[in-house]
Amino acid sequence: MIPLTRRQMITRMGGGLGAVAMAGEMHAAEGPHFAPRARRVIQLFMNGGPFQGDLFDPKPLLHKFAGQRPEAVRLRTERQTAGLMPSPFRFRRHGHSGLEISELLPHLSRHADRLCVIRSLHTDNPNHGPALLQINNGTISPTVPSMGSWLSYGLGTENENLPGYVVLCPGRPVRFSVLWTSAFLPAEHQGTYINHKSLDPKQMIPYLRNANLDRATQSRQLELMRRVNRRHLERRDGDPLLAARLKSMETAFRMQFAATDAFDLARESKSVREAYGTREFGNGCLLARRLVERGVRFVQIYYGNGQPWDTHHGHNARTASLCRDIDRPIAALLDDLARSGLLEDTLVVWGGEFGRTPTTDLSEGKGTDGRDHNHYGFTMWLAGGGMKGGVAHGATDDFGFQAVTDTVHVHDLHATILHQMGLDHERLTYRYAGRDFRLTDVHGNVIHELLA
Amino acid sequence: MPLTRLISALLVLLVVVAPAQSAAAPKPSAKELEFFERRVRPLLVRRCYTCHSAKSKPLKGGLRLDRSSAIRRGGDSGVVFVPGRPDSSPLIEAVRYTNAELKMPPKSKLPASEIAVLVEWVRRGAVLPPDRPLDTPTSSADLKAAREFWSFQPLKRHDPPTPAIRTAWPRSRLDHFVLARLTQQKLSPSNPATRRTLIRRLSFDLLGLPPTPTEVDRFVCDQRPDAYQRLVDRLLASPHYGERWARHWLDLARYSDTTASWLKTTAQAWRYRDWVVEALNADLPFDEFVRRQLAADHMRNLPIQQRRALGFLGLSPTYWKEPRLAPGLIKVVVAEEWEERIDTIGRTFLGLTIACARCHDHKFDPITQADYYALAGVLASTRLFDQPLLPADRARVVRDADRRISRLERAVTQVTLRIPAPGDKQQQITRLKAQIEEIKKSTPDFDAPRAHSLEDASLFVLADGQDMTRLEYRLGEVRDLAIHRRGNPSSPGPIVPRRFLEVLSPGKARPFTNGSGRLELADALVDPRQGGSLTARVIVNRIWRQHFGRGLVTTPSNFGLQGELPSHPRLLEDLAARFIDNGWSLKWLHRDMVLSATYRQASRSDGPGRAIDPDNRFLWRMNPRRLSIESWRDAMLTASGELDTALGGPSMKVDDPRHRRRTLYSRIDRRELDTMLMLYDFPIPSGHSPKRIRTITPLQQLFVLNSPFIVRQSVLTAARVPVGARPRDAVDRLYRLLFDRSAEGVEIETAVEFLAVAGPQGWPQYVQVLLGSNEFVFVD
Repeated sequence: MIPLTRRQMITRMGGGLGAVAMAGEMHAAEGPHFAPRARRVIQLFMNGGPFQGDLFDPKPLLHKFAGQRPEAVRLRTERQTAGLMPSPFRFRRHGHSGLEISELLPHLSRHADRLCVIRSLHTDNPNHGPALLQINNGTISPTVPSMGSWLSYGLGTENENLPGYVVLCPGRPVRFSVLWTSAFLPAEHQGTYINHKSLDPKQMIPYLRNANLDRATQSRQLELMRRVNRRHLERRDGDPLLAARLKSMETAFRMQFAATDAFDLARESKSVREAYGTREFGNGCLLARRLVERGVRFVQIYYGNGQPWDTHHGHNARTASLCRDIDRPIAALLDDLARSGLLEDTLVVWGGEFGRTPTTDLSEGKGTDGRDHNHYGFTMWLAGGGMKGGVAHGATDDFGFQAVTDTVHVHDLHATILHQMGLDHERLTYRYAGRDFRLTDVHGNVIHELLA
Repeated sequence: MPLTRLISALLVLLVVVAPAQSAAAPKPSAKELEFFERRVRPLLVRRCYTCHSAKSKPLKGGLRLDRSSAIRRGGDSGVVFVPGRPDSSPLIEAVRYTNAELKMPPKSKLPASEIAVLVEWVRRGAVLPPDRPLDTPTSSADLKAAREFWSFQPLKRHDPPTPAIRTAWPRSRLDHFVLARLTQQKLSPSNPATRRTLIRRLSFDLLGLPPTPTEVDRFVCDQRPDAYQRLVDRLLASPHYGERWARHWLDLARYSDTTASWLKTTAQAWRYRDWVVEALNADLPFDEFVRRQLAADHMRNLPIQQRRALGFLGLSPTYWKEPRLAPGLIKVVVAEEWEERIDTIGRTFLGLTIACARCHDHKFDPITQADYYALAGVLASTRLFDQPLLPADRARVVRDADRRISRLERAVTQVTLRIPAPGDKQQQITRLKAQIEEIKKSTPDFDAPRAHSLEDASLFVLADGQDMTRLEYRLGEVRDLAIHRRGNPSSPGPIVPRRFLEVLSPGKARPFTNGSGRLELADALVDPRQGGSLTARVIVNRIWRQHFGRGLVTTPSNFGLQGELPSHPRLLEDLAARFIDNGWSLKWLHRDMVLSATYRQASRSDGPGRAIDPDNRFLWRMNPRRLSIESWRDAMLTASGELDTALGGPSMKVDDPRHRRRTLYSRIDRRELDTMLMLYDFPIPSGHSPKRIRTITPLQQLFVLNSPFIVRQSVLTAARVPVGARPRDAVDRLYRLLFDRSAEGVEIETAVEFLAVAGPQGWPQYVQVLLGSNEFVFVD
């Protein structure tokens, strides 16, 4: 058992965001079940679903069988598909581990020895909505909490002046807020959605700054509030609820400045801004770094508005362009985290809600250069936070369609992420509607082979 | 463990175990059973059932692990465990792989964490629950025992206990029950609250609005002996009463102004909200209130406007059913919808978690999987649709147009999905869409008001061509469902007729025969011989909780075995019985509660209560409460004079600066809750919300510090109280307006000091602080 800091104690007692439990309501779980390997998570979400065969799961046989439709690929996905389409992108081995990574990701390839690539993921449904729900909330039901909410509930926050769970997207991902819902968990564990299309920190958190009053005036207001509330409190025997509200007012006052600082990219040097690029996804990565540095528990970055990785047509050209967008920022993020030592206990997760088919999509009638959704097999990678590096785990079939060896279900991924955060996925439960709900429903196994 | 704690733990054990000692085995504790149900049983199901359950063919080693008696009996080679001694238990030996002859499961060793669970279970005595076979209705003997549970018994009145000492404190029947419990705990009631406190408390409780300064003065000066009764009657007669209490109901009904984007109309959800307000204002008997929400379409002689009541289910969440997917996947989506609806019905009306029985019999309550699918059949025979609020003949014309439109829409989908795409795909679609527009234009009354409503129709999920899915609604057709084994719709078990829960049906539950069975279900929910006793207990407790800040049962939507027992069982029974005797009148119920001496107590007290009963379980004082976001916002609008008190009508976005109506009329978006509502614990309407989880967070206080709404209300309120020559008078007027009392000397000094530094702009800044202060936000 690791000793708790005072802040952790307060957090444990009160729940996320310095919240205080009212009259017998439970707000947060008891904290980690065992010593965590990771304290925070950054999830890089390629919404729409990237094709594993272009990036981390090379399938040379696709060239040999191009255009054919062998028995093994007659799998039902969302739409009808036709023959096999080889990936035009070349792979090379990188690092000491010799991990194979696509030429589309030259900068990320520098980090090959840090990546724990899972090639054998699978999920239950080839439709965006249910798949997004499954990977965010554990099941296809829109009535259960998201993973970030579970983490916030289970671990509280390390910085009372910032939200514990932040969702960044330069736009609106499909299905939107249900993907970070706290559902029946206390509302404070809901993800704070921030559209970072605008980089003005004042726009990012609701009601963060006052349009009219300066700091001095607000200080006077705060002092007045203290006096008025203390007088009220004294006559009510120091009722803890009233005291809690008074205290949270003080925190809010500080938060105005702390949060503004955290979200202000202008405070980064020119060279850092260049390393991340100045496009939206890069800005998201840089914001994520600033947030985890300040103790935010879970930061999720959706690549973009709608579902940009959903390449039913023009797949190859779009994939190349999408990769150009993510390659440098992710590499820069990993560089920074490694340099500061944060990568030790920060888990970085990359992937989409599913993968794509090695066969071409037939449905849109826009030529044969698209790929359909694929829930039978796809790739995600993790880095830092106590994961092994330079590893490729599991395998899909010869064509990269279906996970066949050491398969990993989304439930197993969730169990593993919670495990690294010090939480037993079977014990992190919340009683609602007569049942003990958990992120992994009644499934999930920690993939111990992948843990460093 | 310190010795004292060990001793007290042993004492607890003795107390718990003692009564059961006459039986063969000690009654297993809830904690041990929970360990089995949560950790052990799922493991056995996952790892062992393939070879060791009733369905294993062949059954290996003669060992079944799916029934307690069978687990105890063991298999061909004898018992599998010795309670308390894992190292001597063959089961543990097998999973540890220490004996080469006996390795289980044979294919691969269990992960260490799972072995540890089994070891722990045996070490703790290998506690097993009483047998209840899966997938079969509970036997009549089981049911008889199950019905002994307090909340499943018929209601009866209880004579109020006679007080141990003579006291004039009780004002009403319920006070006697409260006093008896207080006396038992060596507690005594607090002093009555002042009239100023009472009118503020009562106004917020009954109307959700603050009293005006004039109303306060009038009540404080009212010398008549029945001044308080008159106040209660006046407030209960106000149309704002319905607005306040509708919101509580809408939390339970997971009301939303937006339904799924693919449904036809979403702009008229408010008609259901208005129906709730009207029904409450008219004091529609609660049993009738329930019946109409489930089955208004089956009830004769109801005006068509009453179909609005069906919005309770008519606004249910619906999930996307992608026609390109295989039917197996879509059936799961449909089953999710049934579950959500059963959960809402079960918890809202009965306080029972029926949805727990979707995949297996309920782990704790006497609700079988057969019960679940008997009710799911009612929902499978019911369809959501938009009812034109027109006389039958005119509605028929509109409905006919609807049908033609949906046929055309289906054609659009088919053209869109056809492979290969027809050459003139776009033209075909354009043509079809033009036809749809033409029907809309040419049909009389097509734009008539509509209600989110229900009708009897069954949804069939059918294969389409290769393996796409076709959804087919068969109007007027009803169906019984097969049990889904382990909740899997592709693994059907026996078919169960639609009917009510066995445990709440005296004798045997009779199958429903009237259409979908919704009306019979509704009748069963309110018939005191069936679900009605429970339904009455549940609603009485909900109203109690709203008035007293704490329920007699603290799990308002779980009256089952996992719920909390009532703090005042006889009081609850008596009140619920009298509620039914008084015609299920909610206004009667409110009056009975708020006229009591219990309700009229002060919330501050010097007595020993704080030490003896800090949670105030026994009601030695009134609980102070924080205003809901609705009441707080409404109170600010009242203070600033901006509040528009008009009743009913379409909703407006919360952050629309033109929105000056009560917060009830704010647009509730199921997919994207407004920021202000979300910050202040408004429940996410994706499912039934039994109670709001109240949080205090800094983000809430940012709203106080910075939101344009508060700034505006501060400026307007300040403008109503001109400072003039004497700021002291203005401060005092402000205190009356906001807190229903005059300002005290120190308070005036504090204000004057602040204003002196802040200058002329200081007044709204000062008001802003008061609007966010605890005195404004909490009610004593």
